[in-house]
Amino acid sequence: MIRSCVLILALLAPLPALAHNVISSVFPSGSDIEGEVGFSNGDMAADLLIEVFDGAGAKLGETKTDADGFFLFTPAAPVTHVFRGDLGAGHVAEMTMEAAEVAAIMGESPVETAASPAAPSAAASAGLSDQSRAELARMLRTELRPLRQELTAFKNKSDFQSVLGGIGYIFGLFGLGFYIAARRKIGGSA
Amino acid sequence: MHIVDGALSNPVVIGGAVAAVGGIAMGLRSLPLERIPAAGVLSASFFVASLIHVPIGPSSVHLILNGLAGLMLGWAAFPALFVGLLLQAVFFGFGGLTVLGVNAVNIALPAVLVGLIFRPLVARGSPLQGAIWGGIGGGVAVAATTLAVAVSLMLSGDEFVLAAKLVFFSHIPVMVIEALLSGAAIFLARRVKPELFVDTKGSLA
Repeated sequence: MIRSCVLILALLAPLPALAHNVISSVFPSGSDIEGEVGFSNGDMAADLLIEVFDGAGAKLGETKTDADGFFLFTPAAPVTHVFRGDLGAGHVAEMTMEAAEVAAIMGESPVETAASPAAPSAAASAGLSDQSRAELARMLRTELRPLRQELTAFKNKSDFQSVLGGIGYIFGLFGLGFYIAARRKIGGSA
Repeated sequence: MHIVDGALSNPVVIGGAVAAVGGIAMGLRSLPLERIPAAGVLSASFFVASLIHVPIGPSSVHLILNGLAGLMLGWAAFPALFVGLLLQAVFFGFGGLTVLGVNAVNIALPAVLVGLIFRPLVARGSPLQGAIWGGIGGGVAVAATTLAVAVSLMLSGDEFVLAAKLVFFSHIPVMVIEALLSGAAIFLARRVKPELFVDTKGSLA
């Protein structure tokens, strides 16, 4: 159940398809927003400053990624959260979590919100202590990471067909240019 | 090397697009009929070269081959590299369509400059001398491109020195490889097809 939820959320999380070899995603994690930033070759962005903005561009705060490229952010207001990390050299990771999703995290179940992470007896519904819950979440992340990376790698894959297609386009374009130039030349000399 | 959508501020993007249009117009005017096939081949090599990745630290960099295009084509390298970039953006998602102008200027302008500076040197002397100048040109083109990328980032608010250092140092291996590759390509071209460097009227193209 948790696994499928996490999987769906991970799939729904906006993966910026336009970012060349940067992968990033955000997903709810308990009362926090969790995200990851890295490169599509599997290297994660460690110790990266992630700035958090609301939908209008006002800064809400900042956080840092850990050694595995993961970061945590506790939302304070149910507004759209935009996470932005600059990996340098023109590589920018931008992730957005919609206001509705943030609100769902904050007001998910009043019981859970009331129970602070320090209280070990919380989350009676699942029958798990916060500690084992966190352990479970960590395990899930570890297991899902290769899957997510593979998915992104697959999306970014430049396969043989597109290479050939691109070369074909180039030759076609230059052939067309050649044709136009030649026609102009012949027309000019005639 | 390719700057992605959203990393640059709007004035930089618009300025880059305007400059790219100017460069393409200039390049098309100086592209004679008999050079169009060469431009096509170099455009295709540029397009494919970006798929050859050299792993560096957390990221990987890829070959650019803009120096070679500049040495062979001069101003005509601009449209050739632009076509390659456009197809890279469409097929592989490298860079993006909005920043296409900036990327074209960053990659093609150093190519053109290297072409203007080194082309006479490459065409002169023995093939080996030409190859050495070609190799230097190939390396310089990559270095100039990294600086151009850093300038684009700086104009959008990044700290120049930091950005320049990051891009420049991560591309040193690329510079070396490109220098060797350009040198070898020029050597081969000088040996088997010396007329590539001389236009039909017999003067230096």
